[in-house]
Amino acid sequence: MSETAPAVRASVLARVLRDFRGIAADLPGDEFAHAARARAAARLTELGWPSTRDEHWRYANLRAFERLGSFGPSPAAALPAPLALPPAVPGFERLTFIDGRRVGAAHPLLVASAPPLATAPSWPAEQRLGLLGDMFASDTARLHIRGAAAIEILFISNPASTASYPRLELRLEPDSQLQLIERHLALAPTSAASAPASPALSLTACNVTVELGRGATLTHYRLQQCHRDCVFSDSVAARLEQQSRYAVRSIAIGGGSARTSASVQLAGRGAALAWAGIAVGRGEQVHDIALTVQHAAPDTRTEELFRGIADERARVAFSGHIQIDATAPASQARQSLRGLIESNGEIDLRPRLEILTDDVRAAHGATTGRLDEDVLFYLLARGIDRPTARALLKWAFLGDVLREIEVPALRAEAERLAAGQLPDVPPLGALP
Amino acid sequence: MSGTAPEIAAPLLDIRDLKARVGGQTVLNGLSLTVRTGEVHAIMGPNGSGKSTLAYVLAGRPGYEILSGTAQLEGRDLLQLAPEERARAGLFLGFQYPVEIPGVNNAYLLKAALNAARRDRGQPELDAFDFLSLVRSKTQLMQIDDSFLGRGVNEGFSGGEKKRNEILQMLVLEPRLALLDETDSGLDIDALKVVANGVNSLRSATRSIVLVTHYQRLLDHVVPDFVHVLARGRIVRSGDRSLALELERRGYDWVTGQAAA
Repeated sequence: MSETAPAVRASVLARVLRDFRGIAADLPGDEFAHAARARAAARLTELGWPSTRDEHWRYANLRAFERLGSFGPSPAAALPAPLALPPAVPGFERLTFIDGRRVGAAHPLLVASAPPLATAPSWPAEQRLGLLGDMFASDTARLHIRGAAAIEILFISNPASTASYPRLELRLEPDSQLQLIERHLALAPTSAASAPASPALSLTACNVTVELGRGATLTHYRLQQCHRDCVFSDSVAARLEQQSRYAVRSIAIGGGSARTSASVQLAGRGAALAWAGIAVGRGEQVHDIALTVQHAAPDTRTEELFRGIADERARVAFSGHIQIDATAPASQARQSLRGLIESNGEIDLRPRLEILTDDVRAAHGATTGRLDEDVLFYLLARGIDRPTARALLKWAFLGDVLREIEVPALRAEAERLAAGQLPDVPPLGALP
Repeated sequence: MSGTAPEIAAPLLDIRDLKARVGGQTVLNGLSLTVRTGEVHAIMGPNGSGKSTLAYVLAGRPGYEILSGTAQLEGRDLLQLAPEERARAGLFLGFQYPVEIPGVNNAYLLKAALNAARRDRGQPELDAFDFLSLVRSKTQLMQIDDSFLGRGVNEGFSGGEKKRNEILQMLVLEPRLALLDETDSGLDIDALKVVANGVNSLRSATRSIVLVTHYQRLLDHVVPDFVHVLARGRIVRSGDRSLALELERRGYDWVTGQAAA
């Protein structure tokens, strides 16, 4: 970190700490939990607020944090009724959290009354926004899976909310299987007369920790569909024991500014990560995704697939860093990163393979461009009108990832959400 | 020519004194051509004579600047129409180098294209059943396996498969005017016969076909009514099928040299 932090950064950090001091005593949890919150605050103070001059934060929209109203979690509030929630996904049990707090009766899969654990992970500097959740979160969706389950967790931010800190902690026992839908929905403030002309932004800062026991399988669908006045930040830490499999299918379309920072450690022999993500931005949206994978054991595998579209004046960035340690011979890593620029959008793809052992199969590719005019002309020459031709091509571009969604109802919804983000895409129906 | 009608059929395609430029270079230099309904024309010429340019200019590919002249399809000013409007007006361009479009499958493209044309003609869109039975009858003719309909357009296809796919699209779309740009290039003799069969199946008194080709061997299988030789952006000689055979014997220098003299 630079030692001469500019005034604005100091002021964001100062506001975080001031808001924390103001409410720390009222936050739930025992003395150990309070001590953990204080440690997180001390750690953030030590690291300082991030700067875009730091390579890890170069593409993040840190200025959006200056426009946040308050960092203290909003008090528990009922949702305005009637509220149209996304349709249930057949076969998945839904658990709802509002502003980071569980709504509804106790559930056998949730570990009861779960303030942040005293042993929160120590976030590295590039994931330091995870410390916000460690400081402020009131509740945790803590799932401890033995056997098989299919669960949807709906994290909703209230329209009146200024800040919410959803937390998800997953632990899969050996050979367990979980299909999980993690969905973030920040509801736009209603156009009530009281709404100010230029509302302050709201914050959703989400922490996810994943521990997969030997032979466990987690398929993790992540849908981020917050409104545009939401600053979304999530920090993901995952650790995979031997022969476990972690498949992430991530759809990022919402939020004015969204930062996803994930680190995955392949700790046991034969552990495998398959990360497939799309991010579609338009207007002034910023999507910044940083994924770090560490191969620490032999025979481990990473498959990374990213497709980003930046339309209008949006910025989409993906940084994929894969490190293969000397302790990880016979590992495989593949990265396929592609960006599509429309109008004045901007895409930044940064693949990075760091290989510290000889016995590795690794491949990476990163390409960014606009729609191919020759391909477009081919479709026009078949009588297909221009908007449909463009839509087909964008659809095909995202299809690599959308096809990985194996739950039909969810895939249909992901397609609908993605289409809604593309200005000239009429509903096309299901992907082939 | 059908020959049964007492009067000459109306022109389907009428090109008059067309001049066009690409990349600062004039590539069509006063080209005129009339194609009547039911006729098959072959346009031959050496490399660089403007054959592909003519196809692209008629189909509306961006980057070509029209300097003067006209081109009408059934009396409509082609040059004023967008590429997709030209296609819906009944023009089909069979590409010399068909592009690969991973992620857009063949069936989807065929259906979208066919329904666009049908909507334009005021016909109802085909439902899935009618569409598939139509397409299957054409895939059989082109000796294309049905599984190919679910694959990305031209994705991983061989050169011959791509050309057969072009003809399949043509058969499904049933254009008034098919403009086939070097459809025979890169085909072995078996594939050439399949492609020629497909083209011949479209021949009728209500359609016209323009074959753009470098070699005359396609014309052994799709026998043209007229043969034209293109050189330096204009038609320098026209005749019947025997002109193609003579070109084969004597080479293009025979005609282009004469024209230059």
